[in-house]
Amino acid sequence: MAILGDFGTTWTKLLDTDTGERRVIATRDAAAHGQRADIATGHNARRRAPRHVNELIALAQGGQRLIEEPELLVLDVGSRDVKYIHLRDGELLGMDWTATCGALTGFTLELLGNYYGIDYAAVEPSTKSVPVTCGVLGMEQLFELVSEGVPVEEAVARFARGIAMNAYRFIGEPKQFCLSGGMCENRLFHRSFPEEVEVRLLGRYVLVEGLIPELTEDGRATK
Amino acid sequence: MGEKRRRVGFVGCPPEDVLKAQGVAELVDLDNVIEGARPRGESLLPRTTCRIIRRILDNALSVELDEIIVDEGYGKCDAARGLAELLEDLLDVPVIRTQNDNRQSAGTPISDSALPLLRKVELILDGFVNPQEVELTAQPKPRAAMWGVPAADFSIYEPFPDGTQVLGWTRCLENRTPAEWELEMYVPVGVPTVFFAQTFCPKNVVAQHLARRHDGLHVDVDGVLSQPVRAKIEAFLRFKRVWD
Repeated sequence: MAILGDFGTTWTKLLDTDTGERRVIATRDAAAHGQRADIATGHNARRRAPRHVNELIALAQGGQRLIEEPELLVLDVGSRDVKYIHLRDGELLGMDWTATCGALTGFTLELLGNYYGIDYAAVEPSTKSVPVTCGVLGMEQLFELVSEGVPVEEAVARFARGIAMNAYRFIGEPKQFCLSGGMCENRLFHRSFPEEVEVRLLGRYVLVEGLIPELTEDGRATK
Repeated sequence: MGEKRRRVGFVGCPPEDVLKAQGVAELVDLDNVIEGARPRGESLLPRTTCRIIRRILDNALSVELDEIIVDEGYGKCDAARGLAELLEDLLDVPVIRTQNDNRQSAGTPISDSALPLLRKVELILDGFVNPQEVELTAQPKPRAAMWGVPAADFSIYEPFPDGTQVLGWTRCLENRTPAEWELEMYVPVGVPTVFFAQTFCPKNVVAQHLARRHDGLHVDVDGVLSQPVRAKIEAFLRFKRVWD
């Protein structure tokens, strides 16, 4: 009945509500192939659909659909930014979205993985961290470590820990929270939060899921 | 041939009598957008200077003025006082320093009207130079409120419902009491309120505090409104059920 899309900076997540098919494609390919959706969210959404839903609203609605508990705190770590929403019984307790201090952190982690050929599932988290105010500055620190003889895996693990700790402080250091986005599939990253913290992985379709409430009762998309 | 009309720039909200004393002079509000002004002051200010102070300097360097009046009283900030010094050294025009401690209320009919928020701010800012006769309907039960100083990018006012109440220094400006702290601190109980200040403006201290106190949303913007800030405002209004 409708194609729902989360057109992120580097990855596009799509849901066909008719068939239930979900898929992830590179945003550069989505652009090249003129991929469109009926309702969209994400950094590149405005040019891809007649109707746009802002990412914080999509994140909140997606979280509400996926979590049964009355209180939800969902952190979304994207390629270029970090955002969260905190609700209790539908009441807003807090939210924020930073595209500056957390800039490009997810993207940089992916870039480093590809560059060094790292299997993130096989790397153990580090107890040390690199101060990652943004992806670019963090990468500078990482290369410094490598030049000092720190093994690449350990340097990248410190970088991942730096991103995780930044994001954790950003959401107010709770005892438990839900993680949304592609970083759910990065085992090193989601194990880099403090050990005592319970991190529930919601996967990378949370924002797309959050577009479903925007459909009409018979499942259509309205403009 | 008549005598050339004097052109007087002003900063902030100078006392009414000082502006009136300019007679038939053309008044130029240096805080506002001036078509054709160029970013000439870029290298003269620290990076941590708010967008409005930057704009004032750019305007003052771009427009030919005969005189500049600066409100450097309690209603303005240290940056404006510093800027007066800078303008005096840079330009060959007299800089008149004034302080506006007026407590005589001119009223806030625009702030409390049913007009769209963006229109309200335009009318308040134009009130000095081009006051307009507009029929105003009061909005006794505003669904939302916006606290703060006038923004550099007016698109910040777009996500709000019509009749959003104007609070903070912008309200003081309409009231012509720019240094009236009690009025600036006024926030109605139970109205979802967004608290705004320019990035790097010291008013962020109180904006953030008031947002906590009144369960509102604090945002700061440096020039152009970013997608995350706009999204935060939209989400705040939605989850506060402003549209229900």
